[in-house]
Amino acid sequence: MTSRPEKVIKGRDMQIAITIEENKGMDSKTSSIFGRCEYFMFIDPETEEFTTEENPAKNARGGAGIQAAQLMVDNAISIVISGHLGPKAHAVLFNAGIAAYQFQGRTVREALEAYNEKTLTSLFEPDVSAHSGQA
Amino acid sequence: MVITVASGKGGTGKTTIAVNLAKTTSDIQTVPAKTVWLLDCDVEEPNAGLFLEPQITEEKQSSRFLPVFDLDICTGCGRCAEVCEYNAIAVAGGKAMFFKELCHACGSCTLNCPEGAISETPQPVGTLRRGEAGNLGFAEGILEIGFSSPVAVIRDLKKWMSCGLDPEEIFILDASPGTACPVVESLRNSDFALLVTEPTPFGLHDLKLITQLVRDAFSMPCAVVINKSGENDGIIEEFCRERNIPILMRVPLSRKIAETYSAGRLLITQDAPLMNQFRSLFEKITLELETRSAAR
Repeated sequence: MTSRPEKVIKGRDMQIAITIEENKGMDSKTSSIFGRCEYFMFIDPETEEFTTEENPAKNARGGAGIQAAQLMVDNAISIVISGHLGPKAHAVLFNAGIAAYQFQGRTVREALEAYNEKTLTSLFEPDVSAHSGQA
Repeated sequence: MVITVASGKGGTGKTTIAVNLAKTTSDIQTVPAKTVWLLDCDVEEPNAGLFLEPQITEEKQSSRFLPVFDLDICTGCGRCAEVCEYNAIAVAGGKAMFFKELCHACGSCTLNCPEGAISETPQPVGTLRRGEAGNLGFAEGILEIGFSSPVAVIRDLKKWMSCGLDPEEIFILDASPGTACPVVESLRNSDFALLVTEPTPFGLHDLKLITQLVRDAFSMPCAVVINKSGENDGIIEEFCRERNIPILMRVPLSRKIAETYSAGRLLITQDAPLMNQFRSLFEKITLELETRSAAR
């Protein structure tokens, strides 16, 4: 058995995932939560080409953060930008070598600007406790 | 005979009805006496013991088999994470990661690992205790803090007590609120479900849910007890008429009863008419069961 196949989009070696609340392209409102956010936007920071995917974990009975983090791993994401990040999701991202940054502003556009200006805060540790994203 | 006391809604008085029914039933057993057991299956917050003050004579650990991952063998193929219904496994950095708080010990990961990298070892998830409260047998399960699956503890408790195997024993089970897995596990193999409700829209709403579970899913005979009974009983009566469910007893909404309960005392020790009602409640349940099996 070989290792897990990873979906790498051809020609892109760097992908950012941003948690968002609505599907409105670059003007989408960013989400403060990770595991149960509405959508993920996958962006190539060079070209600003993006795709949006509904979060399959948002209504999970439990372990939403783990499932969402697994989605990041499976999509070979390099960087995750979210309002907050809980301990289990953080552990999965950390083990996969995915860097996590905190963004608490408004839109994807602003988040990308902040990323390019290197003003985002690194989430070296989870910043909220488990189940913080539950409604 | 196994009678499970359930309600759907929390706070309707399941435990109150269960402990008073169990105590009365054990008191009225004549020679040859059947052993009556009260099993507290509300393992997330067992409190029947507060009313019965049992002498605990035996204690046992409840364990379940949790997966252990041999990361030297693990290739990170991700099959275990794929089959895990509870998101307890992730695969990152080419290796499996296990979150035991989310594990329901279903065994799917072990069965599906193509490398044989997963084995299972028993881990304590709760404590089982049993003893006696006078002539009444008592047993309870206590779920370990931080574990999410009470089902394993309830299953273990019923197995340890050989619940329902000896027809000479009467088991009265105090189930947890709701209609989810722990309640299903408590109801499994019961002969009768006693549904405790209160005459409020919330009580009625959850009575409908528990009726669906008991009647429609389990095809189990059932009856209703209205607790905090009063002028609003009509909404419960109407539903019971529609679904043809007998109402076997009413406990009035009364300050005196509430005070007795809050002091952790049994209602039957304070209130003679209520004691007689509990006595006939058991007879009515027996009668319901007999009519049922005769009709079959």
